[in-house]
Amino acid sequence: MPALLLIASKDVRQRIRDGSAIAMALIAPFGLALIFSLVIGGAAGPTTFRYAVADEDGGSAARTFTTEVLGRAEATGSVTVRHAASAAEARALVEDGAVAAAFLLPAGFSDEVAAGRPAAIRVVGDVDAPTSTAVARAIAGAYAAEVNSVRLAVGTVTAGSGGLDPSEAAALAERLAADPRNVSIDDRTALRRELDAGTFFAAGMTIFFLFFTVQFGISSLFEERTTGTLGRLLAAPVTRPAIVGGKLLASGLVGVLSTSVLILASSLLLGAQWGHPGGVAILVGAGVAAATGVMALVASAARSMEGATNAQAVVAVVLGLVGGTFFPLAQAGRAVELLSLATPHAWFMRGLGDLAAGGGPADVLGPAAAILVFAAAAGGLASTRLGKLVRA
Amino acid sequence: MRALAIAGCNLRRLTRERSNIFFLFGLPMVLILLIGLSFGGGFTPVVGVALNDDGPLAAELVALLEEVEGIAVETFPDAAALQVAVERGRAQAGLAIPLGTGAALRAGSPVSLGYIARPDGLSPTLRSAVEGAVARQAGRLRAARLAAENGITFEQGLALARRIEPQIPPVVVETTTVGEALFPEDLGRFDLGAASQLVLFMFLTSLAGATRLIETRRLGISRRMLATPTAARTILLGEGLGRFGISLLQAAIIVGGSMVLFAVSWGDPLGALALVATFALVGTGASMLLGAALANDRQAAAIAVLLGLGLAALGGAMMPVELFSPVMQQVAQATPHQWAIAGFGELVRHGGTVADILPHLGVLTAYAAALLTVGTWLLRRTLTA
Repeated sequence: MPALLLIASKDVRQRIRDGSAIAMALIAPFGLALIFSLVIGGAAGPTTFRYAVADEDGGSAARTFTTEVLGRAEATGSVTVRHAASAAEARALVEDGAVAAAFLLPAGFSDEVAAGRPAAIRVVGDVDAPTSTAVARAIAGAYAAEVNSVRLAVGTVTAGSGGLDPSEAAALAERLAADPRNVSIDDRTALRRELDAGTFFAAGMTIFFLFFTVQFGISSLFEERTTGTLGRLLAAPVTRPAIVGGKLLASGLVGVLSTSVLILASSLLLGAQWGHPGGVAILVGAGVAAATGVMALVASAARSMEGATNAQAVVAVVLGLVGGTFFPLAQAGRAVELLSLATPHAWFMRGLGDLAAGGGPADVLGPAAAILVFAAAAGGLASTRLGKLVRA
Repeated sequence: MRALAIAGCNLRRLTRERSNIFFLFGLPMVLILLIGLSFGGGFTPVVGVALNDDGPLAAELVALLEEVEGIAVETFPDAAALQVAVERGRAQAGLAIPLGTGAALRAGSPVSLGYIARPDGLSPTLRSAVEGAVARQAGRLRAARLAAENGITFEQGLALARRIEPQIPPVVVETTTVGEALFPEDLGRFDLGAASQLVLFMFLTSLAGATRLIETRRLGISRRMLATPTAARTILLGEGLGRFGISLLQAAIIVGGSMVLFAVSWGDPLGALALVATFALVGTGASMLLGAALANDRQAAAIAVLLGLGLAALGGAMMPVELFSPVMQQVAQATPHQWAIAGFGELVRHGGTVADILPHLGVLTAYAAALLTVGTWLLRRTLTA
């Protein structure tokens, strides 16, 4: 059996025996997928927004708000509304965290609305629940916009026709209230899986994790040097490329295995949609090649096992950061977004995005090629330094 | 003191490899840049618009959207390009205005506009901005249609509506916090993203330090140390001290750098320092525990990634704990990460000081003490087994 394969199988068996293969290929990916499914699975489900309302007015407009507007929101099932007896009670509820935000309708609100005077609905929000507060603000804002639009219509008709008497104005207002809204906003976010939080995290964690799984291919050469087995290997009729190739193959196998477990586990547990399996396989293969190459390059610059491990960990973390696997980097600006393309991670995420949008293997050839460029460049540079590394 | 001697020896081992020093400070620099650019003041969310109707009404809708404060509007050639932009994060939300919208708006017939957004905390705010612009225009159009029934043309009615709109007394929504402070229109200032990322990376890189102790054990150095009149506790402390110092220094650089260069808010500086120091202690304790318990570097790498990412996720460092289910919110309380993030929440959102985060500091210190104690016990066991 060729020396390369022998060395690779020896390395893999060693890793199984010392428990690291099981840890890296099974425990870690499965554990990660499980944790993410618990965290994101719960959050991906509809969150219930808890609000309170204090109607200190009781007039017609206030009642419209509390029963119709808030009632409609409650009917969607994602909002619950408590009725507080006073503004002070409502504020207390927010302060205690019993509700995320409270709507306050001050005394005189309905009169002001009916008379066409300025009026205000106050939303008191919990500072620790900014999203819920934003939704509450939107609910109140929609109601305010509706009232304002009625006022505008009445005002326009009045100005256009030279005046309306109160009964005409009231009739107009009623008609407007019954007027069906013809512009609808069709939220298409849920239809596109690539924006799915579960898939984003699964993809990011996978490529980040991959760089850790292939760490120990080349750096095990340090260990072999210390234990003396490298010298014996070199004394045998085994070429340097065979030694290096065997080690790379071993770490590549562990890398592919653990990534596959992570992908399977995350689609089972997290409901992550990876897309066409062929495309995923291409991306993972390219990713393993790039990771192996980069980690080999980093190891070749180190002088000890410990130094190699440290440097590899830092490089993996930095690449993960800059590659946008932890948070979308577009927030940081176009320049940083461009910078992220200097990492294989960003290309991996793009490729997965294309797959999740329904693309096939052909669509990922571009990103895969970009990733392979990293593999070739890093691997090429590493190979020039291997003479230094592979010596007794 | 012996622990200091051990720590000093480790630091010298570390600094002998020049590349290590570069990496030690390269990571904080990268983090400062990314955290600063992402979470520093001055982030304006972008709402993209794919305008496929070239009529005046559609253009007016876009103009109304542009008038909304706190967002920036960018146009894209079509819905597909808009989709890609939102996916890639170039726009935080997008509105697709199809052909025929203008005519349908004018006639009052049903119109459906496509909306797409990133599923994050900004989405409700951006959605209401879009709905607000749509509602404003709908109001004007309705007014014009009604006025047109009374002797003037639709165009005249529309012009009239536009003219008198600023004069109409509005009903407004005032949003405040419980303490009467105005709720900011953009949620950036109350965003704990910077703190979450810091906590994630401090813990992850701390765990990577477990390899040092494993190496020290493997080389037999620890056993020899134990043979001298040195307690296992001292060895652990010595190993940990260096790691703690580095972790604290890195974190201080990140906090200070991002605060000064990018105006990222971390709250009261003393409080932030205290939180960062105790969390660094927790990270050190965890890495010492791993270093004492695991047999080799490779196991350590796998477990470090699992614990580093897993605990961060459970602790709300990746997705805000506000969005967790009630059960998972309880689970999050069991992680040191959540205590650190909540501590920063106290500092950033409530303007607290060290006094307000004493419970958080206490819990974190307790975690650190527990981890170090168990680590010591394990180390003694493995060295004397």
